[in-house]
Amino acid sequence: MTFSRLEDRRFVTGAGRYVSDWNFPGQRHAAFLRADRAHARIVSIDIEAARAMPGVRAVITAADTAAAGFRSLPCAAPIPGKGGSALLRPERPVLAADVVRFVGECVVCVVADTAIAAQDAVEAIIVEYEDLPVVMTAEAAVAAGAPQLHPAIPGNVAIEFETGDPLAVAAAFEGAAHVVSLDLHNQRVVGSPMEPKGCLARHDPETGDYFVHVCTQGTTGMRAQLVATTGIPDEHVHIVAEDVGGGFGLRFNAYPEYSAIMLAARLTGAPVRWVASRSEVFLSDEHARGVSSRGEVALDAEGNFLAFRFNFLNDMGAYIAPTGPVVAVLSIRACLAGVYRVPAAVANVRLALTNSVPMAAYRGAGRPVISYMIERLVDQAATELGIDPVELRRRNLIPPTAMPWKTVNGLGYDSGDFPAVLDKALGLADWHGFAARRAEASARGHLRGIGLATFIESTGGGASPDEVEARFGDHGEITIHAVSHSHGQSHETAYAELLAAVLGLPRERFRLRNGDPAVRLAGNPTGGSRTMHGVGSALRVLADDIIAKGRELAARALEAASADIEFHDGVFRISGTDRSVSLDTLIERHAGGPERVFDTRSSARTGSTFPNGCHVAEVEINPATGVVSIERYTAVDDAGNLLNPTIVAGQMHGAIVQGAGQVLGEHAIYDLETGQFLTGSFMDYAMPKAVNVHGLVIADHPVPTPTNVLGVKGVGEAGVTGSLPALMNAILEALRPVGVTHFDMPATPARVWGAIGAARSGEGRRFAHA
Amino acid sequence: MYEFTYIRPGSLPEAAALLASNEGAKPLSGGMTLIPTLKQRLSQPSHLVDITALAALKGIAVVDGRLEIGAATRHIEVATSSVVRQSLPALAALAAGIGDPQVRNRGTMGGSVANNDPAADYPSAVLALGATVHTDRRAIAAEDFFQGMFATALEPGELIVRISFPLAERAAYAKFPHPASGYAMTGVFIAVVGGAVRVAVTGAGPGVFRWTQAETALQARFESAAIADLEVDATDLNADIHAPAAYRANLVRVMALRALETILTSSKGQ
Ligand SMILES: Cc1cc2nc3c(=O)[nH]c(=O)nc-3n(C[C@H](O)[C@H](O)[C@H](O)COP(=O)(O)OP(=O)(O)OC[C@H]3O[C@@H](n4cnc5c(N)ncnc54)[C@H](O)[C@@H]3O)c2cc1C
Repeated sequence: MTFSRLEDRRFVTGAGRYVSDWNFPGQRHAAFLRADRAHARIVSIDIEAARAMPGVRAVITAADTAAAGFRSLPCAAPIPGKGGSALLRPERPVLAADVVRFVGECVVCVVADTAIAAQDAVEAIIVEYEDLPVVMTAEAAVAAGAPQLHPAIPGNVAIEFETGDPLAVAAAFEGAAHVVSLDLHNQRVVGSPMEPKGCLARHDPETGDYFVHVCTQGTTGMRAQLVATTGIPDEHVHIVAEDVGGGFGLRFNAYPEYSAIMLAARLTGAPVRWVASRSEVFLSDEHARGVSSRGEVALDAEGNFLAFRFNFLNDMGAYIAPTGPVVAVLSIRACLAGVYRVPAAVANVRLALTNSVPMAAYRGAGRPVISYMIERLVDQAATELGIDPVELRRRNLIPPTAMPWKTVNGLGYDSGDFPAVLDKALGLADWHGFAARRAEASARGHLRGIGLATFIESTGGGASPDEVEARFGDHGEITIHAVSHSHGQSHETAYAELLAAVLGLPRERFRLRNGDPAVRLAGNPTGGSRTMHGVGSALRVLADDIIAKGRELAARALEAASADIEFHDGVFRISGTDRSVSLDTLIERHAGGPERVFDTRSSARTGSTFPNGCHVAEVEINPATGVVSIERYTAVDDAGNLLNPTIVAGQMHGAIVQGAGQVLGEHAIYDLETGQFLTGSFMDYAMPKAVNVHGLVIADHPVPTPTNVLGVKGVGEAGVTGSLPALMNAILEALRPVGVTHFDMPATPARVWGAIGAARSGEGRRFAHA
Repeated sequence: MYEFTYIRPGSLPEAAALLASNEGAKPLSGGMTLIPTLKQRLSQPSHLVDITALAALKGIAVVDGRLEIGAATRHIEVATSSVVRQSLPALAALAAGIGDPQVRNRGTMGGSVANNDPAADYPSAVLALGATVHTDRRAIAAEDFFQGMFATALEPGELIVRISFPLAERAAYAKFPHPASGYAMTGVFIAVVGGAVRVAVTGAGPGVFRWTQAETALQARFESAAIADLEVDATDLNADIHAPAAYRANLVRVMALRALETILTSSKGQ
């Protein structure tokens, strides 16, 4: 059997190694007592009975983490707030000390000989609470008189960002022929990776070293956060990870449990493992989105955009997760005016605290918030002004001749051909044949709608250069080390194919090892769709560095000047002769031995890239049940050069369907009165299913970026960034003929049916978030 | 999970005795409901008495004009049985739509009926067809068996042995799956048995119930127009984060129309 990806044999034969696959002699197991209420003062914690239970090795509370010198989990703002204001940082202890602030927050960590004994002991702990009032929505949190979550954050607003020029925007609105506004809610969702988060820590009392096996998107970020929280010096913290079963952003940060497990390993003198149950994943993995927004566009009489004004109010949860502020503001800043020529724009972003799980990155990380806002607003303007939505977009697109483009708030896009991407998508989607398909559907009693989104993304620039290292083994294998961790992105195959193509070696020669503590590299975790332009660029440099070494060795072997040696298809040749030696031969001769001459470490530094696309969705709604079916979906993306189109298509499929999940039903719901989490299992939390999506067409229109050697842009998240607005525009377009004028996600059967009924009966035409 | 003792008795009397002599013992059938509740520590049985190997609880056969199905029969077996497909195709179709392949490969008819989840599929068939639930102690008519949300006529330790279905002249089931769980958000089973029309609804209310208004209407004329405009009273129907009661009321009519459509477009119903 052959596999198209190098990692597939391991995955399909069950040979992947995840956190729960690690076991060490003498290993103990941990369980956590979690807050069963959303906001309460801890009056007392009685751990005596738990401590006395059979097999219990340690019962750890905030008193122990304090004694160990643990500090608040870190958080920071990536840019200053409005007027230079700073982020008000909430104290976030590893284990709740005085107050619990969301259901599921860790209070006590129990270590026992078995996982069951640890759970039994958790049940024997008695916590006395004094309930405090809860606040469950961002709107309620910022209202006067709202319950206060943190003494350091009066009014529950941690920071307010502003990007753009509010005065220029105000002036543009002043003179506008038309103003269109739209309120939208981008609901809270749960990321749901297949592998539940987990951690296994080992402590060596001799050296003081900790080996921490965790689900991670990259060791550097994980280690830095653990160091910041535990105060253990960086050189003593070693992150170990092999396979990671999904992340989407929520395996970036170091969860409080990980620090607790490190302490548990030290206190018990044994390896300690904890793997979350699915219920714990729902209750304590970072959630995402949860943004209320208002957008306004000013237009002149011809439909040219004069200005955008956006207000975002983000529900950040009970604490500020390390990546939370980044996600909340950076994409909005980078993609403030989308793909449009707009002379003025401004966005205001407020981060509010509520009694819920902290919010962080999730596929798209802010781009699906700004793209959703802009692209729905553009459709709203088209409807209100009676202009065709394609025509309105076309009129305002940045032309390719204007590249590189300086955006309205002083940032820039390096490349892109937005009109060509739009045209290709309209053609593939048979946009003009829609009327006939709608008529056919309506003859069957179904409502059919078409919608599009022309969007742009900004991929992660990276906080540090990306280092990569090649180590040549004794059996011809070449192991590549890099920080950016694969948690489903096919890095193993993509890296191997890139190197194989440049070096002229078979791709099977390459192995990938992320998260090997023996090889400490600088670099960025996987995130922001940046791995191919970041690590990929470094690999291209690495290949050149290896070729340069080979050239010197070839020159010696062929007794020629290295300047006369050319390299092609894996072979060094003296130019114009048939005298040659292969790279493979040189590796065989020289790679071994103590000098390891071929072992190479290289690095590259790249900035952000700007993938863009046009997605066209076509949906059908059965008005009898409200069921939305995605009948056709066409995605044309400019992700720059594509190294492996199959992997790219896989990323697009996954991300589009992840977006469809949010559009059709995913919704993390808390009880507004009690703060209890109501969608805590897959019985209540609706994941997208294969039957929901038909007719996915993936195509590309590459405009290589000059900002990296590979000309690649980034592809992991564009599908979500495009699918949220494209699908919702199509759904609203299907509902408009029955009189619905507004609809917020999710388009569950019951909500869609309710909207149709309300519009038909004249009860209401706007179906906003509850 | 808490600790428990697992026992696999070889005969029905042995199983009954185990259940009688251990107050904390529970029968284990497919485990698709019981095991998740154990994993979440919501239940703490002293013993799990695995009844899936009991010969008395196995088998599918038509006997004296009735379809007899053993309680330990898995959904997949009902869905694919040629006997069921010929004698009561609507029941095979219903079983084929339960959960997902993993659930159908483990879950059993007896477990489903004993559990009486308000959103389970089988109870609608049992009630609409007027089936009889045979236990190790007695025979219970469907009317008397289901007693509201998760409640049944079963006494402690009483085991369902088999369920006996009359062969309907016409029958069909239509289900609207819950977008998350796949259970019935609303399912409607229509059966014509001995000339009498019966319509049972699952998922919409706190327990399976008969929609008598539709029965009367269909008895008068067995066609879509008879129920197309019937209003379903939403007062006692379920309302939750997934849908208001009015939505489920609507689904009752829409699913009834779909089931009827299936019956009318095939000779015997699906
Ligand atoms: C993901 C998922 C999706 C599902 N989707 C559906 C669906 O779409 N439709 C649907 O109808 N169901 C659905 N189910 C339920 C499933 O089909 C089973 O029918 C159900 O779990 C019970 O059957 P079981 O054999 O697994 O019983 P068990 O879990 O073994 O037992 C359930 C209860 O019944 C008792 N019991 C079992 N057998 C007997 C007996 N013979 N006599 C007396 N008491 C007994 C047990 O003690 C226990 O209390 C789903 C389940 C899951 C996990």
